Amino acid sequence: MDFLQTSIDGLLFGSAYALLALGFSLIFGIMKRINLAYGSSLLFGGALAVWLEPFLGGGALGLLLVTVFGAAVAGIYVERLCFSPHLGKTGTMASMIATFAIWMQLDEISSQLLPQRTHGFAGIDIEAISFAGIILRSDHVLHFWVAVLAIGALYWTLYRTRFGLLLRASADDPEIAYLLGGRVGLLGVATFAIAGFLGGTAAFLILSSDGQITPHFGLWSTFKGLVAMMLGGVGSLPGAIVGGLLLGFAEAHVTFYLGAEFRDILTFGLLLLILVLRPGGLMGVDVYRTGRLATERI
Amino acid sequence: MSLYVASTLTNVALISFLALSAYLVLVVGEVSFGQQAFFGIGAYVTATVTAIFGGHVVVALLLSTIAGGLAALLLAALVIRLSGLYFAIASLCFAELLRLTLLRIRIPLEIDGRTTGMDGPEGFSNIRWIFENNFEVTDFLILTVLCLAALLVLLFFFERTTIMLRARLVGKDAILAQSLGIRPAQYRLAFIGLSGMVAGFGGALFALFNTHIEPQMFGVMLGVHALAYSIIGGLGAPLGPLIGVGIDIGLLESIRALSEYRMIAFGGLVAVLLILFPQGLLSPRVVNQLRARIWRRRV
Repeated sequence: MDFLQTSIDGLLFGSAYALLALGFSLIFGIMKRINLAYGSSLLFGGALAVWLEPFLGGGALGLLLVTVFGAAVAGIYVERLCFSPHLGKTGTMASMIATFAIWMQLDEISSQLLPQRTHGFAGIDIEAISFAGIILRSDHVLHFWVAVLAIGALYWTLYRTRFGLLLRASADDPEIAYLLGGRVGLLGVATFAIAGFLGGTAAFLILSSDGQITPHFGLWSTFKGLVAMMLGGVGSLPGAIVGGLLLGFAEAHVTFYLGAEFRDILTFGLLLLILVLRPGGLMGVDVYRTGRLATERI
Repeated sequence: MSLYVASTLTNVALISFLALSAYLVLVVGEVSFGQQAFFGIGAYVTATVTAIFGGHVVVALLLSTIAGGLAALLLAALVIRLSGLYFAIASLCFAELLRLTLLRIRIPLEIDGRTTGMDGPEGFSNIRWIFENNFEVTDFLILTVLCLAALLVLLFFFERTTIMLRARLVGKDAILAQSLGIRPAQYRLAFIGLSGMVAGFGGALFALFNTHIEPQMFGVMLGVHALAYSIIGGLGAPLGPLIGVGIDIGLLESIRALSEYRMIAFGGLVAVLLILFPQGLLSPRVVNQLRARIWRRRV
């Protein structure tokens, strides 16, 4: 019973990781670059929401909206400053280091918005659901349903709209997107905005479930999102979902059986193991191979 | 020289070792988020040798260098198939695993009535080598700068050797290198090992200077800073990473008036700098042009 309970807890919490990883994966899929400032832009959204809270009405809904839009705006700022000036093959390194610099900057801005380090973050009160001896924490159930909705919306946008078609085309080759009539620069901005929406939603869920926000949240969410994405496979959307759920599942079990201090050791150990044995992640093997083939020019 | 200036300069020199080790990895075309691990290993080895076993400092430095190199080789051997983002993340995992493991190891010892030895998050205290040998801060600064200068001279001569030119080719275009009969994997292994040695040596000096080390000092922030210095400074010459360190610490100190908003200004500045000089200030092209001008011949 404990096993089942822990598994369900882990999977439900893992749905928030899946959202974080999806944002990361989306950016990597379109840009072929890594965005180190991703977690910090989510932190910025959360910090802005807490800072604006006294002026906001609407309780949790107001916080959610500000977090999501703050994260999206920060994401667009990152795109304009770190990605669009560094298009082309030689810019990979420069854009990565630029995102690192902006990471520092956003972290500092968020710290200024949160002068007392730890601030309360209003949670959502719903009663826990108990079913056949298994207790479902209501905030975790909410995570799950919000994640399902967000993932559904993302898939609908990507696979059912013309805009999604352009995005997918520009992931393959920006020139195709251009020939289809898309504006490549605008597509980049849109990618970061969507990633900000996804990540901001995840950030709101995690912060309200924790009931607090600290400046460490930026680094934490960058790490979790990165690990979940790499576990599933870089640039693969189903991979990001599987990776997030798997990470939540594994963390819950390690915390339950070995104690919380082994959780991070497991996270990084698991990722190193997967990178050594199966570098493409669990589901991103195709992406990994195409990447290799492209660099090997055979 | 005031104590403050001397210790700031020593820190600049110590970080330069880490920046140079990141530079050596970048030369063969890889990005490492994990150089802080080898720095940390060097620091812990030297701490153990001098504070617990009372070994000679030269032995300690030597062992730290070797340990850093071996750890780097181990990482490189594990992930030699990987490149780009995959290598970067693997090195990050390696470094974080090491840091988390160090947090778990608790073997405090009492030596001469003082607590020393690894003590998890409390760190390794009382590395008393500089007190026992009556080293002032300025003395240690001179020692560090001499070591750094020696390393720079070595790298400077190394720069024009065939090995270095081939390594640069591997970094620039591994396929082309392979078609010329160069084996990229060997060069990657060798340079990552070398970078571990440089970082291990720097870490050893760091432990001696700080007299107290703890796992949190070797977090990912340290490694990414070192990487950023190399990229801002440029990959054209070993002097590049040092310029990066100078810009960061120099600017941080000079705009202290803005201390509250320091990172906000600095982060934006670096991003803008990278837009203007995407290859860093001393990019290979700039270095070649300078070289041609100095030697008065055309490249």
